[in-house]
Amino acid sequence: MHIELRKPEIVMKLDRLGSFHQSKLSFLRSFIREFKSWDFKTKEFFLNDQGFGHIVYEVNKGQKKYSLICFSNHIENSERSDRVIATKWDASFVLFDGVPAKADIERLKANVPLQEQGRVSEKELCLSRANKSVRVFEHVVDKLSQGEQPDTKLLYDVGYLYRTTAVYGSGKFGLADRIKVQDREELKGPFRLEMMLVYLARQFTFDVVNHVAHFRSPEKAVRLSEDIARNLGIGNSTGLGMAPFIVNHPALLNQWIIAKEKALKLIRSISSVNQNDKNTFQLYLTTIQENIKFWKTESEYQKNKNRQLLKDLDSFQRFFSTTSLDKFFWNTIYKWTEANTQAECCEFIVSLMMEVYPDIVEPLSYEMSINEDEYFDIDTSRTIDEICKLIENQYTWLLNINFDNKENVFNFWYYSKNKQEPRMSDRFTEEGSDLELPLAIARDISALYNDLKSCKLDKDLGYYLLKNQEYRHVLRRVLICEQLPYSEIQDNTISKTLIPVDMLRLKLSFFGATRFDPRSDRWVRITMYQGAPLMKEISKSDDTWSYKKIA
Amino acid sequence: MHSLYEIETTVKRSSRAKGLSWGLSEEAGKAVRLLEQSEFQGLESFKRLIDLGLSGLNKLLDINQSDTSNLCPIHFGIFFLDQSHNEDIHRNHNFKNLNEPLLILPFLSKSAKNNLLYFHFYSSNLNFTISPGDIYFFDQNIFPEYISDFSISITTQRKSIYSQSTWDYLYKLSLETFVEETEEKKISGAGAGLTDND
Repeated sequence: MHIELRKPEIVMKLDRLGSFHQSKLSFLRSFIREFKSWDFKTKEFFLNDQGFGHIVYEVNKGQKKYSLICFSNHIENSERSDRVIATKWDASFVLFDGVPAKADIERLKANVPLQEQGRVSEKELCLSRANKSVRVFEHVVDKLSQGEQPDTKLLYDVGYLYRTTAVYGSGKFGLADRIKVQDREELKGPFRLEMMLVYLARQFTFDVVNHVAHFRSPEKAVRLSEDIARNLGIGNSTGLGMAPFIVNHPALLNQWIIAKEKALKLIRSISSVNQNDKNTFQLYLTTIQENIKFWKTESEYQKNKNRQLLKDLDSFQRFFSTTSLDKFFWNTIYKWTEANTQAECCEFIVSLMMEVYPDIVEPLSYEMSINEDEYFDIDTSRTIDEICKLIENQYTWLLNINFDNKENVFNFWYYSKNKQEPRMSDRFTEEGSDLELPLAIARDISALYNDLKSCKLDKDLGYYLLKNQEYRHVLRRVLICEQLPYSEIQDNTISKTLIPVDMLRLKLSFFGATRFDPRSDRWVRITMYQGAPLMKEISKSDDTWSYKKIA
Repeated sequence: MHSLYEIETTVKRSSRAKGLSWGLSEEAGKAVRLLEQSEFQGLESFKRLIDLGLSGLNKLLDINQSDTSNLCPIHFGIFFLDQSHNEDIHRNHNFKNLNEPLLILPFLSKSAKNNLLYFHFYSSNLNFTISPGDIYFFDQNIFPEYISDFSISITTQRKSIYSQSTWDYLYKLSLETFVEETEEKKISGAGAGLTDND
């Protein structure tokens, strides 16, 4: 039986992309697989009795070394904000390339806590900050200092002690450009450095609570149970700033999606599946259904999705239990799931299927990066007719959208001057649409198509571009999409019905985030590394930690 | 020092702010990034261009256009990037004057690679060649802010720029990696058929 990849017109719809779940391909999991053979240690520990000061963690293998410098500062409750406009944070982090000298730490101490207002150098690789979950932090410190373990119900309802609000890399604020590190073997997978930073920052959160509890009551205090710590991740609060990334990096998006689609295709193509494989799947399914109970959210949108997921999983379980291990068992399972469940459940099952086949899936994580510059140039020898046909074939979904209808051009994306982040607003009531970012892909490709159709079709693009440079940015995308068919979200990113949080979910699922908790349609809280091995036990990780039972 | 990412995005946005389309702004950002990465003063040159006022500069839109004075280097570079696949322009062209010629280098370089072309640039105060190869040498101080009465010759022909004696020496040296063949080896080492008439 020949199984095809799922078609882009199915996969690249935003409601499906916004239903993706973490998987073996997720970057935080591939980070742990890649770095489990490295040494992780605490290199410097200079916190005062209240937990303020700095800690340095080192990750090394032979001569290769990375260091995370964590600064812990006092801030007033009124100054604590997850918004990008905040100027003070409980903690700030910088990942250093190598081992920092004393002078480096002094320089970074003056800059890293300032984040966007500070300045880092090409010696540094990533930058981040985090705020305490105040009620959890205080509860944990209080209990530990009294010699007791904290209330796990409270802890697991939240899922973390600190919440990061941004992780910057690749040349931002003076950080090293990606080009500096892109050829390093250990960094071949996507976002490895960012994942390293977040993993070490999680360790920092445990070290701080233990330290503060100890100094609050040196005789009585106990350390946080490792079983509890392991079931805590690190939070993240993400707003619209992340959404344009997946539009601005079409080639990279293709690599992420196609890795997943290849994995699914290979699994569906397995002709003979044994009982062991089925049992493994069932084990993970049972565990994760328990863990879903810890996915707390106030968002009606997400509550509905979670409710539907649980309902669909019930029907799925019945089908799965009663389906015999005939040839192409997983293909039968997948086809039933696609036909009988919502995208949220279908993508959940796809992620779960990947767990059973590490030998198939894990190598694909090395195919998830790409040299985007190789796809930047426009082949101007192509004819106008060829481009029209490409649009008709690849962008069929947008050709019938009426962009004269206000609803279809309702929003515009812009770069906020005061927040220094991409944002989205109502085009008809708010100012600034003249400075619109080039993220209205559907509208602009539609306009390009209409423009091309009015030209002589046998002429080449060089001829067209002599007098028409307005749509150069989307012409480039059409040619990228020809080579990389999963590079384009097949939805109108400026329509009134757009749910931007779906765009965030897409990216965050590839990061490996869990417990999606949208706080509105424009920002979301998530948890990373919940259940992951602690720093001292990373070498023992077998990559099944995502499916361990919480509590 | 600013990262290349910062340089690229800053130039891209500045270009957009000065009225270039997003597509052209992306090209300008990449061009200046490449110059800075190569330690040419791309940003300084771009800044002077902005100071001149992009909108007031002449765009090269037709290889035969009569007015080629006060040319904009971004449009000049884009012209050759977009049009160089067309053999009609593979000849000598004369232009009146061009602002900030440094900024055309990344565009010509890409065009040379993509189309296997050589751009020979001649003027009284600036001469250089861009080839499809990866090795260039420029002294950035030779780049004036303004040039007049210049020409570019475009060709697919690579010039021989080394002496025969150099070639002979290197070729002889290369033979030292060959294995001396006996008569038997000439027969057995060939492996495939012993005649070319099968």
